[in-house]
Amino acid sequence: MRAAGSTLFSNLSLTLEPGEKLLIKAPSGFGKSTLLRALLGFVPISAGSISIFGNELTSRSAWQLRSRMAYVDQEPDLGDDSVETVFSRPFSYKRNRHLHLTSRRITELMSQLGLPDSLRSKKITTLSGGEKQRIALISALLLEREILLLDEPTSALDEKTTLSVARLLREMKELTILAISHDPSLAGALDRTVDLRQHTREPL
Amino acid sequence: MTISELSFFNLALAYLMFIVPLAIMMWLRLPMISDTLIAMVRMTLQLLFVGFYLQVVFKINSILLTGLWLLVMIVIADLSIVRSCGLRLRAVAGGVFISLLVGTLMPLLFFVFFVFQNSAALGAQYVIPISGMILGNCLRADIVGMQTFYESLRRQEKAYIHALAQGAGLMEALLPFVRKAFHAALAPTVAAMATIGLVALPGMMTGVILAGGDPMTAIKYQIAIMIAIFTGTALTVLLAIFLTIRGNIGRDGLLKQEIFADQK
Repeated sequence: MRAAGSTLFSNLSLTLEPGEKLLIKAPSGFGKSTLLRALLGFVPISAGSISIFGNELTSRSAWQLRSRMAYVDQEPDLGDDSVETVFSRPFSYKRNRHLHLTSRRITELMSQLGLPDSLRSKKITTLSGGEKQRIALISALLLEREILLLDEPTSALDEKTTLSVARLLREMKELTILAISHDPSLAGALDRTVDLRQHTREPL
Repeated sequence: MTISELSFFNLALAYLMFIVPLAIMMWLRLPMISDTLIAMVRMTLQLLFVGFYLQVVFKINSILLTGLWLLVMIVIADLSIVRSCGLRLRAVAGGVFISLLVGTLMPLLFFVFFVFQNSAALGAQYVIPISGMILGNCLRADIVGMQTFYESLRRQEKAYIHALAQGAGLMEALLPFVRKAFHAALAPTVAAMATIGLVALPGMMTGVILAGGDPMTAIKYQIAIMIAIFTGTALTVLLAIFLTIRGNIGRDGLLKQEIFADQK
């Protein structure tokens, strides 16, 4: 796979079955985050191809495919509004108008990830890194997409909270997950692991 | 006293006042004395040139010549905005030009036909100073608006990607950045309107009073021109953003980095 003039991965062929949960690991600078961005159609690919739900990912098809995926960044920039606004904002987008946000589901997910309900009225800027990561994850899960892309989703969490995240993801049988992580506690909850070092020629 | 009594000799005396800021700069050892002197010379030469040129333009009073002068002003404002925002000329100059043209002409024509209700006001003597005032404010607003918009989009790319990844359409993802830029660009004009007359007497009003006009007439014109300026700035900022963004967003929805002058 080539992008922006350099080879990202060679001999890399990955297929994920619906509901499968895959962990990708590699040292920093091996293009893990670039791979996730490429799956969202944000990195133009000049060699190799990506197919999602049987459709080849192009800059045109990416817009539709994005509405079937959710993405959580390692250090999410959630703006400076309240937590409640972060949860409700995506539901105002035209493509998501058919979805329904329920307060009960928010409370449920927050409680499963060890966050108090009172946090909902707090400004994002007042939250810790770990709280922001969990808010970003909840925001992604609320959209009930078919594929979840996670970039180091537990890097700012302690072991106990990481285990809660792992348990929650494990329970979502139908959700296909592609996660990048170094965290062994999270790895235990996923089906298999791929080491990118075997597929990368030029470290980025 | 009227403005015509100011002779070139009296004007030369005004330059003596420059000694005060220059002395302060020397005392503080600020490395801006040569820049200040160059700016002073430029200001003098540019205004003298404009003064002589306007005398000719007002005398001939041709719509063509007035229009040409207006175009020259808009092109200079356009180049100044693009340079100040750190953006590439080729990427945004066209959109900014149209935004300035509409932002200046629309309030100007409204002013002439609905406020003055006199097409004689299309004469050079009215069009050039009024459009100059509107354009000057459009320029300031465009610099703040464009800079805020593109810089925040660059700095907060993660937030933008987050919105797109959550299913936002292009406009839905861009809207928070447009809102922020529009607010930053318009806030100084809103503040100026709120304090006008109390903190500062604006240029147009002062000009009419100094020329011996009735203060109440001056105030009426000032109110009308402030509304024209506000309308012009609002229009130009919104147009500048929307007319420049389309060509600088890739098909994937991301901002092309080539738009920034510091990007190779």
